[in-house]
Amino acid sequence: MTTEELIADMSRTVRPVRRHAVAIRIAAGMALGGVGTVLLILAWLGINPDLGLAMRGYAFWMKWIYTISLALCAVAATIHLARPDSRRVGWLWIMAVPALLLAVIGLIEMAQAPSTQWLPMWLGVSWKSCSANVFLLSIPIFAGLLWSFRELAPTRLRLAGATAGLAAGAWAATLYCLHCPEVSAIFVLTWYSLGIGLTALLGSVIGPRLLRW
Amino acid sequence: MRVSEQQLRNWMAGGLAGDASAHARLLHALVPLLRAFYRRRVQDGDGIEDLVQEVLIAVHVRRATYDSDRPFTAWLFAIARYKMIDHFRRVGRHDPVEDLSDILVTEGFEDASGARLDVSRLLDTLPPKQAAAIRATRLDGLSVAEAADRENIGESDIKISVHRGLKALAKRIKGDVK
Repeated sequence: MTTEELIADMSRTVRPVRRHAVAIRIAAGMALGGVGTVLLILAWLGINPDLGLAMRGYAFWMKWIYTISLALCAVAATIHLARPDSRRVGWLWIMAVPALLLAVIGLIEMAQAPSTQWLPMWLGVSWKSCSANVFLLSIPIFAGLLWSFRELAPTRLRLAGATAGLAAGAWAATLYCLHCPEVSAIFVLTWYSLGIGLTALLGSVIGPRLLRW
Repeated sequence: MRVSEQQLRNWMAGGLAGDASAHARLLHALVPLLRAFYRRRVQDGDGIEDLVQEVLIAVHVRRATYDSDRPFTAWLFAIARYKMIDHFRRVGRHDPVEDLSDILVTEGFEDASGARLDVSRLLDTLPPKQAAAIRATRLDGLSVAEAADRENIGESDIKISVHRGLKALAKRIKGDVK
């Protein structure tokens, strides 16, 4: 095909583009994936039977504020990296803030508990499965983001893959709270973060391959 | 005459609003820009037209990633640069590729790099003799002899002042951009 023919072809139908199309596209991909993740929780893990009670306690909201703030940072970075002329994302270190706050809460909780309770607080009842569950639940959301990226133009693929993985992991962890009955801050800080981190790692490994365009 | 950043931006805005003819004009105008871009940087002649077409397709399919508050050419050359790196990787070449800000300078769109290059403000930061020599020879278009006459200093002094002044300016601008 000559360049002239190509241009004529592409100019035949020109759909208007909304102003915040990148953010909308990324949100749509995550929402689609999020539906998959919720269905997976319902079919496989089940909702925490005491969820109503848990939502009246502070631990549930501590978990949500932690995972949602990580997710929002990761989404902002992902939107940023979806443009070819993206600049640096050094500000992403701001994600250390929620982690540090959670660590402070964890220390306070430990100070108030007898030291024989520390190990049970850290391991909970589900430490063996928590990170793996978060990781698996993130896969539909990550797949949704891959769909989003089909019309986007990242040029730093490893970094974009990592932030997409981070966003998928943090949203998966947020939804996993609907199932997970754990209440201690050090549990969340360790095992949730591990699951989210694994997803980010996966994203950075497969990003250069899957996000190429 | 080459097409300006502002013109490209207007066409792009039209295309984003759904105006097919503005979109076609934009794509047409990009062809010579992209050919020149790749001719300067890619050796194998056959690959160039493929690269141009790939960039045009990306400009079309991925046009939502253009932020109309930002320079159009920076966005375009970021895509062109990405496609070039991808091409080099496929053919197994591993040359370092210039940064986007350097590309914009080479392609004559340095005003799009986002750095406000206020010439007179920059000249004010130089010693007065260097600033005067640069103003006379580079802005007012005088020859070295005429400049020496006007500024009442020797010809070799003008040459040295221009040389030193430009070197200092280049250093300062690079510092600004980074």
